[in-house]
Amino acid sequence: MDQGHRHKRKRQRRGLGGGGRRLSELPENQPAVIGLLAMRGPLRKRLLALGVRPGAVVRVVRRAPLGDPLEIAVGDTLIAIRHAEAAEVILKGRDGAAEEGDVSE
Amino acid sequence: MFQSKAAPPAHENPPETLIVTVGNPNTGKTTLINALAGSDLKVGNWPGTTVDRLEARLHADGREVHLVDLPGTYSLSPSTPEEALTAQELLRSQPAAVVDVVDAGNLERNLHLTLELTELGLPLLVVLNLMDEAAGKGYRLDPERLAAALGVPVIPTSASRGEGVAELRAALFSASVPQPQVRYPGQLEEAARRLAALIDHPARRWLALALLAGEKPLLELPNEVLQAAAAERARLQEIGVDPYLEIENARYARAHELARQVIVGAEKRLTLTDRIDRWVLHPLLGGPIFLLGMLLAFRFTFLFSAPWVGFIGDLQGVLAGWVQALDLPPLLASFLADGLVGGVGTVLSFAPVLFTLYLALAFLETSGFLARAAFIADKMMLLAGLPGRAFIPLILGFGCNVPAIYSTRILNNPLDRLRVALAVPFMSCSARLTVFVLFSAVFFPAQASLVVFGLYLLGMVIGLLTAWLVGRAAGAGASSGLMELPPYRMPTFRVIFKQAWARTRSFLTGAGGFITLAVVFVWALLNLPPGTTMESSYYARAAGLLSPLFAPLGIADWRLLGALIPGFVAKEIVVGTLAVSYLGAAPTQAIGLVQGLEQLLSSLWAALLATLQALPAFFGLPQFSAAAAAPTALQSALQSALTPAAALAYMAYTLLYTPCAATVAAIRNEFGRRQAAIAVVYELIVAWLVAWGVFHLARLWLAG
Repeated sequence: MDQGHRHKRKRQRRGLGGGGRRLSELPENQPAVIGLLAMRGPLRKRLLALGVRPGAVVRVVRRAPLGDPLEIAVGDTLIAIRHAEAAEVILKGRDGAAEEGDVSE
Repeated sequence: MFQSKAAPPAHENPPETLIVTVGNPNTGKTTLINALAGSDLKVGNWPGTTVDRLEARLHADGREVHLVDLPGTYSLSPSTPEEALTAQELLRSQPAAVVDVVDAGNLERNLHLTLELTELGLPLLVVLNLMDEAAGKGYRLDPERLAAALGVPVIPTSASRGEGVAELRAALFSASVPQPQVRYPGQLEEAARRLAALIDHPARRWLALALLAGEKPLLELPNEVLQAAAAERARLQEIGVDPYLEIENARYARAHELARQVIVGAEKRLTLTDRIDRWVLHPLLGGPIFLLGMLLAFRFTFLFSAPWVGFIGDLQGVLAGWVQALDLPPLLASFLADGLVGGVGTVLSFAPVLFTLYLALAFLETSGFLARAAFIADKMMLLAGLPGRAFIPLILGFGCNVPAIYSTRILNNPLDRLRVALAVPFMSCSARLTVFVLFSAVFFPAQASLVVFGLYLLGMVIGLLTAWLVGRAAGAGASSGLMELPPYRMPTFRVIFKQAWARTRSFLTGAGGFITLAVVFVWALLNLPPGTTMESSYYARAAGLLSPLFAPLGIADWRLLGALIPGFVAKEIVVGTLAVSYLGAAPTQAIGLVQGLEQLLSSLWAALLATLQALPAFFGLPQFSAAAAAPTALQSALQSALTPAAALAYMAYTLLYTPCAATVAAIRNEFGRRQAAIAVVYELIVAWLVAWGVFHLARLWLAG
């Protein structure tokens, strides 16, 4: 499974793959647009309340020293989110990283 | 205790106007209220909760205003008890005005809440706070545009500098009911209107939308409304509308639009927070800086309170001495000096520690450092299925379990709070160290440090296991690590001090009686029936009753078993009681409540660091000079009463059974009677089982 994971990542870096990238896999300081929140319940609610919503631009600021959680920036808000939670935030289907043009706001 | 302080001023009493403040967390609301309030600022709790309540009375526009701060929230659809409180108060108390405090440097997300507030049908006033910080971020805002769009007054402020505060006070009564802001997509809007028409409440539009979104109603609503809501919701879902998502989308779209109108200039600059985080969250330096920060908080809490704990101990001694001088019947004198003064003194001795702890916690929390500490520690805590913040109560537990229990308030989720509170008592506090030091010096003189270290580790493992198991049993998934990392800010010290005092007072009044009773109970065991010696006291009889229970652990001597009884009240007195029962009652307390506390803390800290860094090289704990304090006669008496394996079992039992009456009182005070009872029973069972295991393993090991 780990192997598969790595394959998928590689593909995306080359810009071959399509959508379905997860926030947890986003490299640091590369803005992207959130496509959908693939979870239900309280976590989804809290994410929305913090501004993590479909259509918003998100950026991974850094990963914690132990690799988990991630610090992400959405608008003017800095948020700590665990790897497993970020894996359920699906980024907008676009080849490779989001283009700079998406990020102007 | 000081009820008169809470009473309104004695002079003329015109009807007060209730005004509430609402806003996202970390918008500088507290600082703003402090600036508004002048001298009359009160900090307490919301009735029946542990949520801080800030209120003030002030004159504005010739009228008396009762200003109440509602807990910070991101949204009126609550996901924590604090947030539910805010929404409920807004719906129930019908304030004369709602002051919405907005972080000017984080406009879009803050306006999302503002938009919800516009749907409550209440007069609204928007404060654009932290204007200075927004300018530092490179934002230029036009408050007039926001006022025009919302149709309510908008006051720009920088509360920490006092800018705009006078203007805000003057504007408090000009709040007005806002114009409708959010238009929801066709079908949803129509459904909301139909439903709102059925609701008899000023916040009908917001309530209708909340019902359509599938929220649990925060008010009691007539059944026909609930049925209509369910029907409308089903209809929407049938045509493919997810009401919750559509509502959120529409609000965010409007918030985005508003923010774009109001922000007239933006040039992104590196903020102070960015610069600090570069170090504090650095991949390599982050860990050490985190440990250093924890060390400072810990030292602050315990070092600054130690002199005052000592003072209270001295005070207690003096009072007891005075009682003795009164020429009362011996039993009565003993009751007053040892029972009553001892009990009250025990209660009071926790006050300085709690006060300094609350100061440290409030500083960490409001400055923004707590969130970073949680971020760094999150991965470690995830092992036990806990959020990163749980690290702080667990660390504090090594100093004293009582403040550690109270510090669980920094956790958002009630279940997480309880899980950590059940884990805390297994963290070996400094009082237990006295027992370990004595026994390991007697039975394992060569490996004393290793034994003590092992006990600390054992406590930690059992604690984390407990938190994990309770989480499992409650069916909770891994707790969420989701939280905002707020900007670094200077706390408002006046509020922090008031908060610390209010919380300390709540301990004294809430837990004091229980602790005093426990001390008096142990006094009664030791001193009754009248004229008893220790061998014939109820204490010795109770200890005798315990002996069949502890035979499997290799502990038979009634004196050792008896010492566990006062150990329930406070672990500090275990060694003292042992000394008295083996050597006779020369001084009543061979080791005083606070004797050598600083010494203990410094060696405790070494143990804590060692466990944190888990460096095998760190085994070189300082040799405990405190061991010398135990009379050699006691040492040899112990040697003949126990085998080394049984000594290990005794230490393990002491480590794990109910830490002290104050901790039980703290759990009862924070979580309720039932939870406290469960904790006690659980600890007694775990302690016995683990001690049994330790005894048998050690016997095999030491024999082989």
